[in-house]
Amino acid sequence: MSHSIEFQHIGKTFPGVRALNDINFKAESGKVMALLGENGAGKSTLLKIMSGDLPAYDGTILLDEKPITFDSPYHAITAGISVIYQERQVIPELSVMENLFVGELPTNRFGFVDKAKLREETSRIIDDFEVPFKPDDIVGGLSIANQQMIEIMKAYRRDPKVIAFDEPTAPLAESEIGILFKLILRLKDQGKTILYVSHRLSEIFEIADEIVVLKDGELAKTFKTTETDENELVRTMVGREIGDTYSTLERNGKFGDILLEVDNIVTPYVNNISFTLRKGEILGLAGLVGAGRTEVARAIFGADPVLSGEIRIEGKPVKFQKPKHAIDAGIALCPEDRKEQGLVLYRNITDNTCMPVFDKLTTGVFLDPAKETRLADEAVRKYSIKTPTTDKLVVELSGGNQQKVILGRWTSDEVTPKLLILDEPTKGIDVGTKAEIYQMICDFAKQGMGVILVSSELIEVINLADTIVVMCGGRVTGRLPRKEATEENVLALAMKTDAGEKM
Amino acid sequence: MKNKMKNKDFLKSKMFTLLVLEAALIIIFSIWARSIGNNFLTANTFLNLANSLVVTAFLAIGAGCLLISGEIDLSTAAVGAFGGVIVATAIRYWDLSWPLAVLLTLLLCAAFGAANALLVTRFNFQSFIATLAMASVAKGLMMFASVPPDGDNPIHVSFRSPGLEFVGGGKIGVLPFPVILIAIAFVVYGLLMSKTKFGRRTYMVGGNHRAAWLSGIDPKIILLILFINSSVLGGVSGVLASARAMQGGLQALGSAQFTGLTAAVLGGISFGGGTGGMGGAFVGLLIINTFQTGMQIVNVNAFWSNAFSGLILIAALAMDYFSNRAKTKIGS
Repeated sequence: MSHSIEFQHIGKTFPGVRALNDINFKAESGKVMALLGENGAGKSTLLKIMSGDLPAYDGTILLDEKPITFDSPYHAITAGISVIYQERQVIPELSVMENLFVGELPTNRFGFVDKAKLREETSRIIDDFEVPFKPDDIVGGLSIANQQMIEIMKAYRRDPKVIAFDEPTAPLAESEIGILFKLILRLKDQGKTILYVSHRLSEIFEIADEIVVLKDGELAKTFKTTETDENELVRTMVGREIGDTYSTLERNGKFGDILLEVDNIVTPYVNNISFTLRKGEILGLAGLVGAGRTEVARAIFGADPVLSGEIRIEGKPVKFQKPKHAIDAGIALCPEDRKEQGLVLYRNITDNTCMPVFDKLTTGVFLDPAKETRLADEAVRKYSIKTPTTDKLVVELSGGNQQKVILGRWTSDEVTPKLLILDEPTKGIDVGTKAEIYQMICDFAKQGMGVILVSSELIEVINLADTIVVMCGGRVTGRLPRKEATEENVLALAMKTDAGEKM
Repeated sequence: MKNKMKNKDFLKSKMFTLLVLEAALIIIFSIWARSIGNNFLTANTFLNLANSLVVTAFLAIGAGCLLISGEIDLSTAAVGAFGGVIVATAIRYWDLSWPLAVLLTLLLCAAFGAANALLVTRFNFQSFIATLAMASVAKGLMMFASVPPDGDNPIHVSFRSPGLEFVGGGKIGVLPFPVILIAIAFVVYGLLMSKTKFGRRTYMVGGNHRAAWLSGIDPKIILLILFINSSVLGGVSGVLASARAMQGGLQALGSAQFTGLTAAVLGGISFGGGTGGMGGAFVGLLIINTFQTGMQIVNVNAFWSNAFSGLILIAALAMDYFSNRAKTKIGS
């Protein structure tokens, strides 16, 4: 059966912002249409409109040529539109099968849940997906990638006409991405209409038939995948040519003394980790999701206990009981999950910037608003954070600007860390802002800071870091200088579980 | 231009909603009282109103500070009643002077707060559960402490102390001493929460305790201070209640716990933590008490009065919802 979804003159205004303006395009059955754009370009807003999350908008949506409106996400789902968001919406306490059928659990004639039928139907979907878990597994115990899979299975189960994916591969490993793509192709063959949002250009070329580029809430251009290339897309997206982001970076050439020595440390999550970092050096921690990179960062920062081994800063052994001690010793951490661990979302930019240094911003017993504002203004100016005022709540900022607020927090007149740990600093951030952040990282190194960069994007680590430490299964499996690092050999080390045990 | 923006923000703020509600209550009760031949708008009414705030004010402050940090204390009223009995017992049976008795009482109350904090921060109890259990402990200990040497099982311990009598009901000029105490407390706590680094850190912990911890703020220390503070303020309420009645009653502060929490929530301090402030809590308390005082003046049955207080809370939360769907902002 053939389906289509068409957007006609779609517009949406939030207080003070025109988020979408006169968007027109049509996605047809049996095609994958990619939505591309920088953060804040309007992709999420468009998805929220088609999922019924934002009922008030301008323009018309046609589903199978007929105008349609939704009052709620439930409406959209029953009409045949499923949107799979970046944020997982699974219920961790329930089993896989209950999650898949939540809201529509099959019942027997007494009105109780028919577990046998539930299990059987779930097994069938699991077989389709080739995933390694069982209907009775509790979702909270599964990996993040598998939880994401459940999200997709949930949408698949409803047999929708239109499926939209919002950055589905962000938490997935290579092999899982392969499974997902196979599945998307199958859905496409079944005549579904597929919308696919991603920042990863290579994926878009692999999976999409057509590409819609949004810029600043407007539809910039629509491409056929076969008739364009990465450079053209990026140019349309950001309005300029990025070229080779990495080759234009102004790097730091000279390293100083040894800053950090991690000597055979063991924590509840990682084993026998050792490496050294010099001043002005960028050290990349590479590995697959779950390799223990974040845990190493947390151990150095005093957020996880160190059971044995030693950490030395400038030659002196340190033992941090809590992050406060690490901060006092000149270490800063920008955590992996900005919203969960980095920011107080419903406080303003000023508070979020000043958080570690309230001590230094007082006059007498009271905080001095002038000093606070000065610090926040400095961050806004230095990192060109896009906001009308520092009173804006950080929840209202885009991901890239949120990340800049955290960077501003740790690099100001009041705090200059010796060691800066960046855990996935570019996760969910658009191409243009990524380039800015890369240059910032190089600038930190030039100022003599030691930088530890944790990233799941191999290309990023390989191109930014001076030394790359590869981890797998909670251990270090290799160490490479940038000159020797290629995607292939880093990936090989990242998957070297058994060899790591023998080493 | 900037001022204009501020005014516009104020009109959208929760504080504005609350002040409108308070004004509406005063107008309604004035007309209502007039229609049945009473007078609402008198100095006496406002003194009564202020007096009725005395006991609940301290509970509202303690509850408010803790709610901002994202925790709740359900033991304050029990700890307060315990304090009320202890202060009476200490004066009557242990022959302590009243300042010493009060000091001892507040120290004992502080111990409950420290125990609450320990359960919540070290053993990861939900504060709801931990403090509910602690309320039971406090009630038991209170009964134990109230048994006089002659072995009788009383329902209250009466005592005489001119000093404490002044604290509970004495006047400086026309103003009752405890009302002055409340005014000072609201100003001090208002400044503490909105202007000091301790207050700001409390908001950050309430907003996202993991982010706060990773930024060098220790939520455990903040919570220890706030739980002790809440218990001590509970003790202050208990002492004041005893000082006014000249007896420590086992049933004291019965519904005050709920009133204190309601005032804080009505004033914009959400159960989620990280929002609201002392100004809101004060106006919240004012609204509840204006309402109760008004109901007395127009001679409405106390049963109705209870039902209506619930409706007022619902009305306030609904007004807030409609005036600002996306988020609540309040000038703390």
